[in-house]
This record gives sequence, C-alpha cells and structure tokens, in this order.
Amino acid sequence: MSATLAKSLRALLHMAALGAALSGCADIGNVQPWEKGTLARPEMTFGGNALQTRDDDHIYTSREAASGGAGVGGGGCGCN
Amino acid sequence: MSKLSQYEVSAVPAVSSPAPSAAASSSMAASILSAALLLPGVQAHAEAPPANGEISVNYMNYEDRQSGLQRTTVHSPSVSILAPVAGDWALEGTVVSDDVSGASPRYHTAISGASHMHDHRDAADVAATRYFDRGTLTVGGAVSTEHDYFSRALSVKGSIDSESKNTSWSFGYGRSNDRINPVNLIVVNETKQTTNYLAGVTQILGMNDIVQLTFTRTLGEGYFNDPYKSLDNRPRERAESSLLAGWNHHLVSTDGTARMSYRYYHDSYGIRAHTLTGEYVQPLSQGWSVTPEARLYTQSAAFFYYDPVYDTQLGAPFPPGYNGAGYMSADQRLSGFGAVTLGLKVSKQLDKLWSVDVKFDAYQQRGSWRLFHGGSPGLDNLRAQTIQIGVNRAW
Repeated sequence: MSATLAKSLRALLHMAALGAALSGCADIGNVQPWEKGTLARPEMTFGGNALQTRDDDHIYTSREAASGGAGVGGGGCGCN
Repeated sequence: MSKLSQYEVSAVPAVSSPAPSAAASSSMAASILSAALLLPGVQAHAEAPPANGEISVNYMNYEDRQSGLQRTTVHSPSVSILAPVAGDWALEGTVVSDDVSGASPRYHTAISGASHMHDHRDAADVAATRYFDRGTLTVGGAVSTEHDYFSRALSVKGSIDSESKNTSWSFGYGRSNDRINPVNLIVVNETKQTTNYLAGVTQILGMNDIVQLTFTRTLGEGYFNDPYKSLDNRPRERAESSLLAGWNHHLVSTDGTARMSYRYYHDSYGIRAHTLTGEYVQPLSQGWSVTPEARLYTQSAAFFYYDPVYDTQLGAPFPPGYNGAGYMSADQRLSGFGAVTLGLKVSKQLDKLWSVDVKFDAYQQRGSWRLFHGGSPGLDNLRAQTIQIGVNRAW
C-alpha cells in the first residue's frame, strides 16, 4: 500500500508542476466576453458528441494499448 | 481489459461573463491550482449551466475482419439525458448495451473453432455538476456488467476559471474496482483497482483559437491478464501516463472549424504511443454539416510481448525456451503496430429542437505501419468499420 501511496503522491507532484508551468499561459489571449461568439459554437468546444466519443473510445481501447487523456472515472470492461 | 466510457472534461471558458478587471498572476494561479489538486472539493467553475435539457439516442455497429475472416461484430445502442436543475445544477445519465459476437484469437492472430464467443455488456453512469461563478464541480459514478466482468467507478472533477475567463484549469480524480470471473475458471474472483488523476488547462488564444492541454496518470493493481488468451501472464501493476494537446481553429473565410489533437502515451509495460487526429467541420446551408476526419496511431510493443516464433519442440503458442515462468503475452494489442482511421460525419439540424447525424469510420492496423521503428512481424492486418447513427432532441 505504501508503494501505491508514494506513486499517488508522485503523480500529484507531477501534476502540480505541470499546472505551475501551464499557469504561465494565463496572460495569453486577451479576448473580451463580447468577442467569444465563435468560441461558443459546439465545434469549438473540446467535448464533442458524448455518445459518439464514448463509442469511439471504447473501440480504440479494445484494439490498442494506449488510453487516457480526456477524463477520469471510466469503469473497466473485459473487452476482448 | 481496458478502459471505457471516460467522462469528458470540457473545460470551455464561459462566453457570457462580465468584463474582466485584471488577469490572475501566474503565482496566484499556480497556488489556486495546487490547492485544488490537494483539496478536490474546493469551489470551482468554467462553463455556464446548460440552458436546455437534451436527450440523445445513438446506435453503433462495429465489424472487424482479419485473416480473410469476419472476426467481431458489435451492436451497441445507447441513450443519454442531460437535465438542468434549479439553475446551478445539471444531471447527466447514460445507459449503453453492447452485444458482441464473433471470434477472438487465442494467441497472435490465430483464430480456431475454440475462439468463438458471445458477450453482452450493460453499462450506466450518472454525474451531477454544480456550477459556480468561476468553476464547476462534478461527482460521478459508473457501473458496467458482463457475465464474467463487473466494474464500479467513482469520480470527482472540477474546473476553475481565471478572472477573465480566458483560462480554465481542470482537475480530476477517479477510482474503479473491477471483479473478474472468467467462464473457463482459470481464475475465480480476481480483482483490479484503478486510480486516475487528471490536470489540465484550457486557454483562449484569440477570437478563433482555443487550445487545451491535459495530463492523466492512471495507476492500476490486480489482474491484467486476458483469461481467454493462451499463456497470458502480465504484471499485476500498470502505471500509465498520457499528455493530450488539442487545438480548435475557426476559419472565417469558410466558416469551417479545424480540430486537431496529439496524444503522447507511455506505460510501465514499456509501451509508447503517439496519436494524431484531425477533423474539419464544415457547416453548409439548411442545417447540414459535413466533417471529414483522419487519425494516425502508432505504438511500440510491451516488453513481454513475444513474436509468433515458437519453441521448436513444443510448437505454437509456446515461445522459444518456454519454461512456464515469467511475463509473456501473444496479444496483438500489445504488439508494435501502426493504425489509420478515415471517417466522415454528416449531420443535419432539422429544427430548433431536433438534429440527426450519421458517422462512418474505416480503420486498419498493420505491423508495418508502425512509425519511427519496425513493427512486430508475422501478424495479419486488422480491418474494421464503424457506423454510428444519432438522434438528438433538446427540451
């Protein structure tokens, strides 16, 4: 259990470092609220069609080794 | 055994926010993020609550072929509901049912009469999101059940906007507990626990550009073997890291939007993978829209994957010098290969409430398509095609 805890803490530290590095971007893109009409269009968001994205992810994680990057909390499956 | 149905963290800065005063300083932002990571539960927000509810129905048909044979067929209907509640809340729920039939190789790409299988999976998840002035907090749960595999998962995720709402930081934590009881009784009541961490940032670069960077770390312990593959013996711990970068760019000249992403992945099995995707959304007249898309993928082999070269005495599927000990797998998904997907989506907004869409994808996987190095030799190419039909209604 202690090894798991150490790994968890290391993961948290990695993310904190990443967040600190990324926060340097905070001053980029001085866009005013009234200039965000285009950014509000569905195709400009990163979510996409939830059901289709879910199906696509399921197919790829059943056929390839890599996964992750988009979210947390998915359940496992015995996908053969 | 792989992940499925991961929640999307769509940390899109709000569009109807009051005019900003001054952007948060870097150090302030870093300390806010650090606090958020250590105390998942602090007040957070990004987007505005949904103005409408939405119900979506999707049907997916997947078929793949290998060695000249039809291998696997999947029929998968799913339904999702999004409901705004009391102004500051949204509830989401999804139900999916997969019916899988066909044949799965016992080792490498060899399919025999014993490879035939039929499986049914039912899965559901729910999530509740609370919207704050400058953040969101979401708590979710998921369950997935098959006759030989049962999984439960919980997650907490959130986002915090900068004062200008041009930057949004996201964070997440998830945990799943799986129970595995294969029908061949090779093991009984095996378990697997997985913990996910997520940190990301979404940044508006201009009126037509937005980028997102997300890091996820997944730590798993337990039974990772495929119980239906011969001689499959994998480490009981797996640590995975992914870095996903996305960029959406709107072209004023065509009114179209280019959506590009790159993901780098590596894990403790020694697998490194690169995924590059691009799609272009082109709205047409009368509510029509077309989206061509392409995806390139390449991965290296796991350190314990062995090529289809067998022991001269024992024959297939035994690797040379087999003595019954050590990690080994002849699972094609752990080999080195490259893959290409080409797809096309057509959608139509019928009126203010109804929309429909159809998506077709063609996928092919080959050892020789691995980038940067040679792929694993001796495996047959895998071809697959997917058709998805969706109907959505706002309410």
